[in-house]
Amino acid sequence: MQILLIEDDAAVALYLRRGLEAEGHVVDHRDDGRTGLLQASTERYDLILLDRMLPNVDGLKILQTLRATGDSTPVILLSALGDVDERVKGLRAGGDDYLAKPVAISELAARVDAIGRRGALQEEPTEIRLAGLVVDRLAHRVEIDGKAVDLTAREFRILELLARHAGRVVTRSMLLEQVWNYHFDPQTNVIDQHLSRLRQKLAAVSDRSLIQTVRGAGYTLRPTG
Amino acid sequence: MRLLKSFSFRLSAIYALIFLGSVAIVLGTYQLVSITLPRQAVKAALQSEADALASAYRGDPRALVAPLERRAGEDSPRAAFHLLADRSGAVIATNLPSWPAYGGERWVSIEADIYRDGDEDDHEALALDRLLPDGTRLLMGRDVEELDDLQEAISAAALYLIAATLALVTLGAWLMNRAIGRRLAAITASAGQVMDGNLGERVPTSGSGDDFDRLADTLNLMLERVEAGVEAVRNVSDSVAHELRTPVTRLQASLRALAADDRPGSRAVADAVAEADRLQAIFDAVLRISRIESGRHAADFQKIDLAELIGDAVDLYGPAAEEKEIRLAQKVEGELRARGDRDLLIQALANLIDNAIKFAPSGSDVVVRGRRDGDGVRVEVADAGPGMDEGLARRVGERFLRGPAAQAQPGFGLGLSLARAIAELHGGAIELRPRNPGLVAGIRLPTPPGP
Repeated sequence: MQILLIEDDAAVALYLRRGLEAEGHVVDHRDDGRTGLLQASTERYDLILLDRMLPNVDGLKILQTLRATGDSTPVILLSALGDVDERVKGLRAGGDDYLAKPVAISELAARVDAIGRRGALQEEPTEIRLAGLVVDRLAHRVEIDGKAVDLTAREFRILELLARHAGRVVTRSMLLEQVWNYHFDPQTNVIDQHLSRLRQKLAAVSDRSLIQTVRGAGYTLRPTG
Repeated sequence: MRLLKSFSFRLSAIYALIFLGSVAIVLGTYQLVSITLPRQAVKAALQSEADALASAYRGDPRALVAPLERRAGEDSPRAAFHLLADRSGAVIATNLPSWPAYGGERWVSIEADIYRDGDEDDHEALALDRLLPDGTRLLMGRDVEELDDLQEAISAAALYLIAATLALVTLGAWLMNRAIGRRLAAITASAGQVMDGNLGERVPTSGSGDDFDRLADTLNLMLERVEAGVEAVRNVSDSVAHELRTPVTRLQASLRALAADDRPGSRAVADAVAEADRLQAIFDAVLRISRIESGRHAADFQKIDLAELIGDAVDLYGPAAEEKEIRLAQKVEGELRARGDRDLLIQALANLIDNAIKFAPSGSDVVVRGRRDGDGVRVEVADAGPGMDEGLARRVGERFLRGPAAQAQPGFGLGLSLARAIAELHGGAIELRPRNPGLVAGIRLPTPPGP
């Protein structure tokens, strides 16, 4: 993907740029608000990574300006450690996602992936079919190789999220945000326990290990695995 | 007993005693000057009169009649009385209506008749009764009616005076007790606030510049120093965390890159990654606490259904509890509404549940209860773990504080600090109380105004 990174801290910018380039993305970097906004409005990008606090023009202002001029390029806001109201403000101003600094590359990469995928899927299908796995989003039904799996509503939503991002990493905080709709740090890995339950239920029907753990990042669903 | 231990009560009691003592001295002095001394003067006069007659006595009682009657006829403010009787008791001369039997040489009080302006009055008289060497009885007296009247008046007045003084002294003592008690209570209350962690509390002053104000000023100065010191320590820990965050992030990235290489020996690298993650988590928690404490969130509070929040938290921690064979249950009574930040509130509740699961023995219950409490709501997490002693419970919220029971558990001692910071941001508090066995950790929140 073509990514524009607007970040004033040179060390952080270098770290993010290297990380994203290692994932195969192309990164342009601007280190202040004014040139960043200029670059964003003159060239097309698949994604803009926008620091919240910037010299000259504030990150939130850039986002508002872009949205006001009809630019709908996905934007991930980056900000110094997770002030929750900052996050709400950022999303309200038209941001697509929000990450607290310091950013783990694995977390950022997973979210960049998720956003890239959202652009590709014009509308969400009512049924996801992946090599024997069927997730019926209307009937809330799951089948593996024709056999139905009995899941709780919560487990269904976990599986649905993983299936929608099949082959890509879904991080624990993405699961917490999208399945439970909360953004916080649960200290212990409570998410892991939910995943292990889901895995047990799936294992009872099929001996394929559909859900795999990606160390230091999260989970991924590999239908062919 | 509590009253006796009160300094202001004792002070008032001493004040009352001193006051009563002064009244007694005044009364005593008055008695001495207006009664005792005049009576002594009368006695001295009678004594010398009697001595003069006795020394002139030559064995003939009749020779005494003339001087006695002359004396009785004198125009004196103190009328003179006498009784002269021979050895057999036969009265030779007297101007008294009655007299007591002879009882040895002594001072007696007798009733005398006074004729003045044609009226007859009964008067009190003081008299010296004695026998002359040949057995003749000589009793000589003088009118002391006015001293007697005065004595009665003084006794009655003293009763009223003491009663009135007692009433005034009690009132004064009560006022003093209250005035001192109030000032002391204000200082005690402020100290209590400070003990509860509110270092910004100051002792109120009356503005009069009195001793209590000077004490309050000194205490306030001390509190300012203490607060500045605590603030400095906090700032240092926050800025250390802030400065180290970025290098730790880079360290994490490098270690992850190493781990991804998947060469043999990467076990050490995996350990290093885990340690770097721990480090990161500590810095994050410290910084979050200080951000929340600085109170910049309040602007974005929304209406929150706490029953739903409790349900979500229990759902989230259900499998983790089950892993330890702990039954995690919820009891929500009625509608529970609050204003706040739902991500922060679930963080606070999650920290309490996380602690409860950590410390509860397997096979026990952890119950999350939500209920209304006066003009607020209360969410409590009850466990059957080792609990917490009172001293430790009072220090709850101190960063990196870990009780003896926590030593065996993973954690940094930041969970309750964060929960407390969040509760306080919402105008509430964290409350810990013991349970047998275990602990009840609660978040109290004010109810939002309006429907």
